[in-house]
Amino acid sequence: MHPSLSFDQAPPISVPYRFFLVAPWFGVMAGILLAWSGGDALVSRWTPEALALTHLIAVGFMLQAMCGAVFQFIPVAVGGNVWRPRLVANIGQPLLLLAALLLVAGLLFSRPGLLSAAAPLFLLTVGGFVAVVALALWQTPATGMTLWAMRMAIAGLAVTVVLGALLAEALALGLSIPIVELADIHLAWGLAGWALMLLAGVSYYVVPMFQLTRPYPLWFTRWFGPLLLLLLLAWSSRLLLEDPRWSLAIALSLLALVSAYAGMTLWLQYTRRRKVHDATSVGFRIANLSILAFVISGAGFLLYPELAADPRAAVWLGVLAFAGVFVSAITGMMYKIVPFLNWLHLQRLGAPLSAVPNMNKMIPGEAMTGQLRLHVLAVALLLAAVWLPGLTRLAGAALAVSFAWMGWNLAGAVRRYQSFKDQIRAAGLHH
Amino acid sequence: MTTVIDGREMQPPEPMERTLEALDALAEGDDLLLLLYCQPHPLFNILKQNGYAWSDELRADGTREIRIHKL
Repeated sequence: MHPSLSFDQAPPISVPYRFFLVAPWFGVMAGILLAWSGGDALVSRWTPEALALTHLIAVGFMLQAMCGAVFQFIPVAVGGNVWRPRLVANIGQPLLLLAALLLVAGLLFSRPGLLSAAAPLFLLTVGGFVAVVALALWQTPATGMTLWAMRMAIAGLAVTVVLGALLAEALALGLSIPIVELADIHLAWGLAGWALMLLAGVSYYVVPMFQLTRPYPLWFTRWFGPLLLLLLLAWSSRLLLEDPRWSLAIALSLLALVSAYAGMTLWLQYTRRRKVHDATSVGFRIANLSILAFVISGAGFLLYPELAADPRAAVWLGVLAFAGVFVSAITGMMYKIVPFLNWLHLQRLGAPLSAVPNMNKMIPGEAMTGQLRLHVLAVALLLAAVWLPGLTRLAGAALAVSFAWMGWNLAGAVRRYQSFKDQIRAAGLHH
Repeated sequence: MTTVIDGREMQPPEPMERTLEALDALAEGDDLLLLLYCQPHPLFNILKQNGYAWSDELRADGTREIRIHKL
């Protein structure tokens, strides 16, 4: 870096890393829980184990990793400034961790007291996060569809958490509300309105940038987010309208739209001029193939209801969505963000460019692709275990080892950052 | 004189590294044309804080033409 240039104050590296370092260990807990419970855990989406597993991944792994990524992504991709990021992260991240543990324990052991404590804690922590992020997203002068997708995603997160808190309180207090319908709406907003909307917005920016594809066509980025939002609102109307044909039409339209994102991303990867086969590309490919598998099975279950009569059908879809789509995409993203942040913060120390180690030195390539291979094996075992309960313990063990390996890789990157930083500082003192 | 950096097929952080190197060599009155598929906000912040002006135009194929000159 040229010493005459000064740098903006992006969030300290500890802000995203605080979230990234914790996230994989929720996945480890999910694997251990599955290996420990065995056989019947996956027979239905409503078993205490399945509910606990879902939330270990959703509010443990996914939410931690996505919050950390959003803190970092806002200044880099949309030029916004999050208010006091260090303060918000230092308070919000441990509270989010506590809320996730309370919720999971409440669901697993059917303890109303824990559920009642988790609900307001989520409203407080996620509400605070939504407020500071929304402020940054609405104040930035930037334009473009990544920004709009992030604005819609953060609204999707707010809806998901409000519905989730309502469901937790309803379970704790025995309120008579339509639990199944509300759970379906909560799930749709969480998976599509928050997670997929954010993934799409981030993809518009990072897929061309890091995977060297052509950009997403403008017509696609203009229509995908607003249509997704519209369909989710229509899906939520099932609470008021009890028309099975309407529900079927909305569900099929949602699946078609979701497959358009996956198909477009795979097409861009397939037609790029310079092929890059790094962990991020692989993670995204696994995620998008899982979306297509989800869409095909989901459409099959909708069109042939006798197939969906088996409660394991919903578990199959859940494994594809959570483990297949989001764990893969988020892992691929973290394997790019963490080396990039190491590089960015090292070069800010003011050393010449040549003194800053290459991004490839931050996490060994084989460690990342090896971990992703184990992850694919874990997903395959989980999918098989839905129909063959004898495989459940093995699938759980594979999941736990895979997430532990991810945690180890990320922690290794942070160790390397520290040692490169010490080297650069020591070299600076000599001159 | 215009120096062109086509960063569309480079993996980050290469376009940023090359741009910062080129800024060092940029003479008064010259400009630097950077081609990317995204808006590089971290670079914009560096430009803002170091006395450079830039314009940013979006081509129909999604390429952003970022023209930089010294103020």
